[in-house]
Order: sequence, then structure tokens, then C-alpha cells
Amino acid sequence: MSLLPHLFNGLTLGLLFALVALGFMLIVGVMETINLAHGSLFALGMYAALAVLAPRLNWLPEWQAAYLALPLGTRYALALFVAPVLVGAFGLLLELCLRRTYGRDPLYGLLLTFGAALVIEEAIRLVWGSNEQQLALPEALAGAIQVGDIIYSRYRLFACGFSVLAIVALWLFLEKTPYGAIIKAGAHDSEMVRALGIHLGRLRSAVFALGVALAALAGVVMAPIWGIRPGVGVDAVVPAFLVIVLGGVGSLWGAVAAGLMVGMVVGLSGAFASEWSMLSMYLLFIAVITFRARGLFGRKSILDN
Amino acid sequence: MTDDLTPPATQTQPERRRFVSAMAAALAGGSSIFGPWATNRVWAQSASAKPLVIGLTMDASGQYAASGGMERLGAMMAIKEFNEKGGVLGRPIEAIHMDTETTPATGSRVAERMISRNEAAFLIGAVHSGVANAISQVAQKYGCIFLNTNSSSPTESGKDCHRTKFVWDGNGTNFALATVRNTLKTAGRDWVLMTNDYVWGHNTSKATRAILEANGGKVVDELLVPQNTRDFSAYLLKLQQLKPQAVATAIGGDDIKALRQQVVQLGLHKRAAWINNQQDWPDVYGLGPEQIFGVFGTTWYYRLDLPGVKEFVAAYQKTYPGMAIAVPGNVYHNGYMATRELLRCVQEAGTTNNLAVIKKLEGRKMSARDRLQHHDAYIDPVTHHCEQTVYMASYNDTPAEKTDIYKILTQTEPKDVVDPDSPKSCKLESYEATPSYER
Repeated sequence: MSLLPHLFNGLTLGLLFALVALGFMLIVGVMETINLAHGSLFALGMYAALAVLAPRLNWLPEWQAAYLALPLGTRYALALFVAPVLVGAFGLLLELCLRRTYGRDPLYGLLLTFGAALVIEEAIRLVWGSNEQQLALPEALAGAIQVGDIIYSRYRLFACGFSVLAIVALWLFLEKTPYGAIIKAGAHDSEMVRALGIHLGRLRSAVFALGVALAALAGVVMAPIWGIRPGVGVDAVVPAFLVIVLGGVGSLWGAVAAGLMVGMVVGLSGAFASEWSMLSMYLLFIAVITFRARGLFGRKSILDN
Repeated sequence: MTDDLTPPATQTQPERRRFVSAMAAALAGGSSIFGPWATNRVWAQSASAKPLVIGLTMDASGQYAASGGMERLGAMMAIKEFNEKGGVLGRPIEAIHMDTETTPATGSRVAERMISRNEAAFLIGAVHSGVANAISQVAQKYGCIFLNTNSSSPTESGKDCHRTKFVWDGNGTNFALATVRNTLKTAGRDWVLMTNDYVWGHNTSKATRAILEANGGKVVDELLVPQNTRDFSAYLLKLQQLKPQAVATAIGGDDIKALRQQVVQLGLHKRAAWINNQQDWPDVYGLGPEQIFGVFGTTWYYRLDLPGVKEFVAAYQKTYPGMAIAVPGNVYHNGYMATRELLRCVQEAGTTNNLAVIKKLEGRKMSARDRLQHHDAYIDPVTHHCEQTVYMASYNDTPAEKTDIYKILTQTEPKDVVDPDSPKSCKLESYEATPSYER
């Protein structure tokens, strides 16, 4: 059995895992808040994309008909952009609730976001129901391509390319723009940032909204692969958590490297020892954390000296 | 430049310690704490007689949440009908539900609590065979009758059978007998098995393998799929390399939904024949026509041309208006039929005493007309398994309405699909060894 397709598959899977973890990484890294609602916000992104792709505007039938007459590709591109913005705006509201937990025991933030996860999931059930739903894909992204003997999903290749774009865009934003510099400075020394006249509250809101929008973006991209159902968030939050801890909390490239490692391990074990494919990522996690507790790219703590 | 976003370690040690401990707590609990935890009192009526409490042990979260919800509606419908006629033995019936979370440990805990604290007279409900087995062990310890409504591992009425447990769904062997031989004739002899890595998957694939090999087929490979797998790309790549003529899946719940979607994306449904041992209605409802590929087994369909089916569907739609699943399926049907038959037996026995009710259920014959199926059904007194009609179906490409997605290809009599191994491995506890139980 040829190894090459499985190595390629592991790589693509890794990029998707990294995409799923990006928003989680940003919020944990900058705000030190473990956002347990990440998975539910990921699911909300999927449903928001459904709503953008085929809105139910029963009270405005002409508008609905005109909108639905737009090509599917146009509506899909809109969904990719608008759904994360909508969910990001919702993230701003969630951050308002989160403010009371700043400076207190991190368990408060943990509990609040856990509660939010339950509320969001139930709200999704109420609005969209519990059934499996599907995101229609434009023809250009649907179907498969054949390379030699192997067929590969065209959409999966698009999703991987999109993940690379999202990772690079986030890196450029954090490293090459003044906003990114302020965010990083706020994470390292919030007092100094405040002393320079920068409104820390707004900064936190913006970072949280961006992290939430990234969770939603990952949801939109993953929807045609994982399917859309209210509980799908659990499938996202656990690997996201694992990836950011494995990569080192707060490290962008750590998350990317960890995502690739996890993808490779899951992909290869799925092909050669299928019953181990789910467990393999946890075994990798234990192996790495045993020897390097701060993760691959995590900062050294004082206890390591 | 660095990509690191964490604060310097030296500045925030106490916060860091708390943060790390919170991370550890979240990591430990993150995988299991999601999903609704509702403990619902779904049905209560005031009456002077002591209510008869029925514990509904159905999944509301996890892999089988959707099916758990549907079988619960079925059981509640039967309870509602009895309550409208004055309950059973003059007592109103009260149903309590607790989420078993598609997790065997939760199933045990819920069963223990319902029996010892809620004084449930009977327990009803299970989709996951591991959960069913866990509940039945607790039920047997107390002598409480448990109806396994929808879990299909052959072991449930085989080596894991109990005097107090009755299994209502067709099992993996029944469905394999109904589908494998037919498909073998048309698809070819080289098969790959895709098996959900838990008790139902293993035992169903074992039955498929035995029938396949006995009829001249060959298992090229068996791929074990862990529960909650969402990405099947590695498996599908391997399938392409193995090039089987048929793929037999024993995959259920949310896993089969994701698999179907990804198979279609690659067009692999056109490259081999696909057989899904049993297709539960909530796992297929709402999928597009292309995703309902292959052939599959079921025990009931809402458009069977039989007397009473239309009325049964209408009653569901009237009682549960606006449901996301607009018409009932096999899971609802099993939940309803099992509950109704139990309550009839209680009525006939004139007591809720477990041994009296068990004796009414053992060997019970149920007419095809009464059960809305093509053939009469019966409860095997040796295995406590309800032997019933098994249908083989595929996607309906000429639907009469939007929800008409099945085309029934064959309907097989219970005697032709009886699991021959269950009676050999099932050793029911004696009546004397079963505690007397009455609530």
C-alpha cells in the first residue's frame, strides 16, 4: 500500500486541525481565558453560514427570491465572510458577560464559557432543530479530482488552502500591523499598554471577537466535511484544546506545528492501525507533554529553571 | 519577531498557577461535560392512585442523541394513550427521563438512580449496545424489567441476555441475513468491512463476515472505526487502494452521517456496492438524495402499504406538531411498540410484579396488523428477542413526497432471519435467581 497519499492526507488533516484551533489559541494566548464555548461558536458559525446561504425571509418574499437568484458561488463567498462577522459580533456580547471574571480565579471564566456553550447549543436546537443539515457547495468546489489511482475531494483541497491563508493572514496581522503589536503588548504588559493611553477593555473585546470570528470561520470551512448538527462543537473543542496545549499555549506557530503533527498521526494511524486513529492524538499528547510540559513552542516557566 | 502571545513568566506567577490548574481541570472534563443534562419530568397527572413510574433511559446527547430523542417520543406516545384510557391497573403512568449520554457508565448510574431513588417500576430505552448492557446489569440485580428498544448488537439477546431484559430491535445478524446474501449475488465477492469499534459494530461485522464467507464471499480487510470519528479520509483512501467490490458498514449515529457525506464527496458510492447493516431513520432523515446511497436494513417505514400505518403517522404528527423529523421511523416505532406491549402485559397480568409480567412477555405473539408490519412477530422465550419482519431498502428515486426517501426492496419473514447463535450463547437467569420486584 502506497504511503504517499496517506502522508498527504495527514498534512491536509493537520492544516484543518490548526484552523480549528486558531481562535482558541488567540483567546487563551492573549486573554488567558479558556473559552470552552469555542466549539459551540464553531457550530454557530456553521449555522450562520446556512442562514447566509439560504436565508428564510418569509416576510420579504421578493427579497428572498432575488437573493436566492444569486449564483451559489457568490452566496458561498458571502457566507465565508459574513458568518464569521455575525458570530464575531455575538462574541462581543459574550465578552461583555466575561468582563466580570477578569482578574479573578480563571475558573470563573471557565464556568461562564462552559455555561455559554450549553446555552448556544440549546439555542441552535431551538432555532434550527436537531437534524443533520448540509451546506450546499458551488460546483467548482464540489466533487473530486483524480491523481493517478487516487481520488481526492476537491473541497478538502480548497479547505486546506483556505487554512493556510487564514494562518498566514493571522500571522501578518499580529506581526506586521500596529494592531497586532498592541495586542501582543497587551498580553505581555497590560499596565504599560494602559499607561500609553490604549483602552484595555476595547482591546480585550476586539481580541475576543476576533477569536470568536476565527472559530466561526473554521466552522464554515469544516461544515461540508463534518456535517452540521447542534453537537458538532464537541468534536471541535477537544482537538482544539489538545492542539494548543501541545503546541504551547499562546504560540501561533506552535498551534500550526501541533496541528500538523496531530493530523499526521491521526491520518497514518487511520490507514495502518485504524482502531488507534482517535487514541493516537492523545498518545502523542502524552508523549510530548511528558518530556516537554510547556508544549512544543511554549515559553519556559520559572519552574523549568 | 516572535509569534508568542503569552505574558512573561516572571510577572504573573500566581495567576499562571491558577491558569494552569484551570487548564488541567478543563482538559480532564472537556470531553465529557458537554451536552444537555436535563432530567425532565415529562409526564405527570394527578390522581389518587399511586402513579406507576416508568424510567426512560434514553440518550439525549452523544453519538445517538437523535435516535434517543425519537424512541423517547415513541414511548411517551404509548404512555399517553394508556393514560387517556385511565392508566394501567387504575394507576396513572408517570414517565421520568434521564440522559444516558451514549455512555455505558452513565447508563448504569441512571438505572441505579431510577430504581433505588425514583422507584421506577420499569426501565425503557437504549440505542447504544454498551449502554443497554450496562443498564440491563443493574436492572437484573434488582429484578426490574428493562426494555432494550433500539440497540442491535447480537450479544444483547445472546451472551449478555438477562431474564429481566427484552430486546425489541432487529439485531445485526437479522439484518446481515436479510441483506448480505442478496448483495453478494449482484456486487461481487471481495468485501471490506467498516466497523464501529464497540460491541454492536464488532458483533454485527462478525455476523456479516460469517454469512459472507459461508456464501463464497471474502473479507479483504476490516477497518475498525473508533466512535465519534468525524474525518474518514484515511479510511476512504485505504478503501481506494483496496478496491473492494462491496463495502459493508456497521457504523451508526452521527458517525454514519459524516461518513455518508465524505463518501459522496469522493464519488466512492459509485465505485463499490455499499451495504449499511441497519439504517436508523434519524440518521438518514434530512440527508440529500445522493447521500442515501447503497442498500440497508430497517424494521419499519412510514409508507408501508398496510392498514393502520397512515393513522399511526397521523397520530405522531398530531401529538408532536412541528417536529424537525416530520414523519416517524423505525426508532420511534420500536419505542412505541415495546412500551405498548409492556403496558398491555401489565394489564393482563393484573400486577406490576416482575415475574408475572416477564411470563406474559415470554413467547408473546404479536400480529402483523397490530405491529404495522408484513409478518407476525413474537418474543423468543429463550433469548427474549423480538423476532420481527426485516426490510431491505435503498434510496427512493421516485418519491411521492419529500420525506418518501426509502424504496423497500424486500421484506423477510422473522423465521428466515433468526439469529442461530443467540439461543446457544444466551443463558437466562432462572426465575428463582431473579429478585422479585414490584412497584
